[in-house]
Amino acid sequence: MKDLLKALPWIGPAVALIATVVLFPVGLMFYNSTRDISQSGVDKGGVGLDNFATVLGFEAFWPILGRTVVWVVVVVACTLLGSLALAALLNKAFPGRRLVRMAVIVPWASSVVMTTLVVHYGLEPYFGIINSFLVDVGLIDTPEGYGWTRHAGTAFAWAMVVAVFVSLPFTTYTILAGLQTVPGETVEAARIDGANGVRTYFSVVLPQLRGAISVAVLINIINVFNSLPILRVMTGSIPGYDADTVMTMIFKYMQNQRQIDLASALSVIAFLVVVVIVAVYVRMVRPLEEV
Amino acid sequence: MAQYKRFGGIMAITLATATGLTACGFGGSSSGEEGGGATTIDLLVPSYSDATQGLWNDVIAGFEEENPDITVNLQVESWDNLESVIATKIQGGDAPDIYNGGPFAGFAEDELLYPVEEVTSEETYADFQPTFLENAQVGGTTYGLPFIASARALFVNDALLEEAGAEVPATWDELLESAKKVSELGGGVAGYGMPLGSEEAQAEAAVWLWGGGGSFGDADAITVDTPENLAGAEFIKTMIDEGATQADAGATDRSPLFDIFVQGKVGMQVGLPPSVGQIESDNPDLEYSIHPIPTEDGSPFTLGVADHLMAFQNDGDKQEAITAFFDYFYTADVYVPWVQAEGFLPTTLSGSEELAGEESLAPFLEVLPDAQFYPTTNPDWAATDSAFKALFGQLDSKKSAADVLAEIQDRVDQG
Repeated sequence: MKDLLKALPWIGPAVALIATVVLFPVGLMFYNSTRDISQSGVDKGGVGLDNFATVLGFEAFWPILGRTVVWVVVVVACTLLGSLALAALLNKAFPGRRLVRMAVIVPWASSVVMTTLVVHYGLEPYFGIINSFLVDVGLIDTPEGYGWTRHAGTAFAWAMVVAVFVSLPFTTYTILAGLQTVPGETVEAARIDGANGVRTYFSVVLPQLRGAISVAVLINIINVFNSLPILRVMTGSIPGYDADTVMTMIFKYMQNQRQIDLASALSVIAFLVVVVIVAVYVRMVRPLEEV
Repeated sequence: MAQYKRFGGIMAITLATATGLTACGFGGSSSGEEGGGATTIDLLVPSYSDATQGLWNDVIAGFEEENPDITVNLQVESWDNLESVIATKIQGGDAPDIYNGGPFAGFAEDELLYPVEEVTSEETYADFQPTFLENAQVGGTTYGLPFIASARALFVNDALLEEAGAEVPATWDELLESAKKVSELGGGVAGYGMPLGSEEAQAEAAVWLWGGGGSFGDADAITVDTPENLAGAEFIKTMIDEGATQADAGATDRSPLFDIFVQGKVGMQVGLPPSVGQIESDNPDLEYSIHPIPTEDGSPFTLGVADHLMAFQNDGDKQEAITAFFDYFYTADVYVPWVQAEGFLPTTLSGSEELAGEESLAPFLEVLPDAQFYPTTNPDWAATDSAFKALFGQLDSKKSAADVLAEIQDRVDQG
């Protein structure tokens, strides 16, 4: 207790910051989710758990949740595989490695909305560069191209491609940092024992990357689950709910239907889902445990 | 213990990232900085074009010169964000004093607005076109000041129609025939540009459903799922199925599609008064003409839209300043250049007189007497609007027209 009091001046500012920018919005979100808020934003009183019942009773809710799982699993898995390959490449010494390492940062350094818009315009019929290319090489036979972003399936798939693209740099660098902590002796020992490159990688290097990979995966899961802008740009003009994830649905409640109460209720659900996923992950994988 | 610490750290990261989306709900309060008896009015407006901000700045400069004890704070937002910005501000107790937007009935319902007669002089109030005032009333009281109006008309690419040997249509059947002829030209040319994407699906819906004799209802009840509306919805499906429209009509937004009309790749599309200016600046060589919107039986009709200014009560102490601002703004010398620069139609009698000789506005002023409006005074209109945006595009799918209308009606009835 005394120790705590002594520490207070030092941790006080951090605690205050967390309270105002993290705990307060969370509390407000929980509070709003139990209120009836009119379209113009006036609080009309408490309604208990009615908002949750409405959200869970919406016929597209379960498909949306399922799509969210697909979105997270596919994007994180593809990101991880791509990053492992990239990191292994960047860990080798070759001329110009510094430039390539810088180039890998580019998708990270540019705005996600900008990156997505560039791809989105490329996919537009009539003037999109990707459509023009596909028409010119003869893969599409309609002269104006194909409406990639006008169909739920293709738009969702392209959104995944963009999501992997923007997630790669961070993951690659986390794994690259992990690779550089792998002691050279272990690799050398494997070599002397006669293991080939593939065997060395999977039996010696990969196990030692466990810490780096599990942290990268954890942060990616949270990020990808909460990703709105990519899907919002890629699937925004599609009617109905066939390309929505939980995040875009929250946005639709908030922006299109202006039902802040329902948006808050769905946010609470999303929040709990993330907390549960993270808790399970932390217990199972113990990402911060020493190897 | 060590493990719990780490766990706590991870939870903190999770909290911080997971709440990123919802944490933006609070805008800072910027009112209440009045010094020396001066009054500050907050003005929240959408951006109609790149010139909007400059036009408002001119108005404000002129107003502040005449009223040195009043300062005006201008905030310009994009149309996409406008409605969530105003909802957030109201929820945070920071509503603007004057707001420029579309639907206002919800605000009136929540008793947030001044009746217009309390914040305008008699002369200003009497100068509004009576039809527009009627369209701005809730329960007999006017809550919105008609601000600018627009009407729709059919933009026709004359060169494409001539090449295809097609006539300018007046009825749906003629439209289908002409559009199919133009589509058959190939090369990616579309006969009729049909934007059912979320951007403005409600407008294209009105063009078709009302053109077949339907309506969205009135101030008391929203009626979407009716036999009259079904005729229009089914004809939309016919247009799409017979290849008279561009591909993927259900998810095509209006603005990008009109860009393609301007490029000369679309035979016919419904456009607005500002579309004239867009063609003039982007592709002045386009051979086009403007005609009334085709309807089922060829009777004249147009979709009129009026945006409104509204005054929020807040603390109730700025009524005089707001009145002064409105009286200044609606004088013909200030108002008409504003409307003209944005390419819209005026809602005041004096404004219409002044613009009567304007040639580019003539096709629209001509159809204005037959204008029908959205039932914006119905408190459920906002829900209707969003239901159309989210669901109407499903006409371009296997779903039947009747199911789509029923789904929209259902959403509206749920509130």
